[in-house]
Amino acid sequence: MSAIDHRICEVLKQHGRLPIEVGSLRDDDDLYEHGLTSHASVNIMLALEDEFDVEFPDVLLRKGTFQSIAAIRSALVSLGVEVS
Amino acid sequence: MNLLVGIDIQPIDEVESSLRTFGARYRRLLFTDRELENCGDNSATSSRLAARFAAKEAVLKILDIQDVVPSWRSIEVGGVSDCRPEMNLYGVAAELARLQGIRKVFVSLSRSGDVAVATVVASAWSQSQGVSP
Repeated sequence: MSAIDHRICEVLKQHGRLPIEVGSLRDDDDLYEHGLTSHASVNIMLALEDEFDVEFPDVLLRKGTFQSIAAIRSALVSLGVEVS
Repeated sequence: MNLLVGIDIQPIDEVESSLRTFGARYRRLLFTDRELENCGDNSATSSRLAARFAAKEAVLKILDIQDVVPSWRSIEVGGVSDCRPEMNLYGVAAELARLQGIRKVFVSLSRSGDVAVATVVASAWSQSQGVSP
């Protein structure tokens, strides 16, 4: 697991309120199908902003941005976060 | 005419936790100045904000959302008129409602125990039905 994925998973553990073990999630697993709520996605977004020192623009404030670990990573990379 | 109904439930403790963790950033992201003013800053604030978040989510369920998603602040539980809260839509939310022929959205809020619930109802007039009354 890359450093960025590890940090994403830590945010998911602390703020996702998912009813399953975050470590069992695959890269493209649908987080909403695994119990992620809209309210929890708000918390995840705010926590990701703190963790990676970025700000999500309005265009990224949509359900798809937080659909999976891969989608979150892609959004963060688009904001300038390095994958390594 | 199509009758549209949306419902959502929000655990109050989750809102309390978010307020503690993210404070003003959380408030400003989700709620309008009017909503924050109406909900005050006291022991009932989190349950009132939870009801309003549920109302926003309930409205999102009746809108035909494609590429552009309305912001939470474009969906507002406004002041009380005739003993009922008013639902106000702005920006993208208002435009989506207009395209669906929705002229007014009615909302009912409830708080009990650990949860807040909101139900919204709207009538949508299709273009083939002509101008709505």
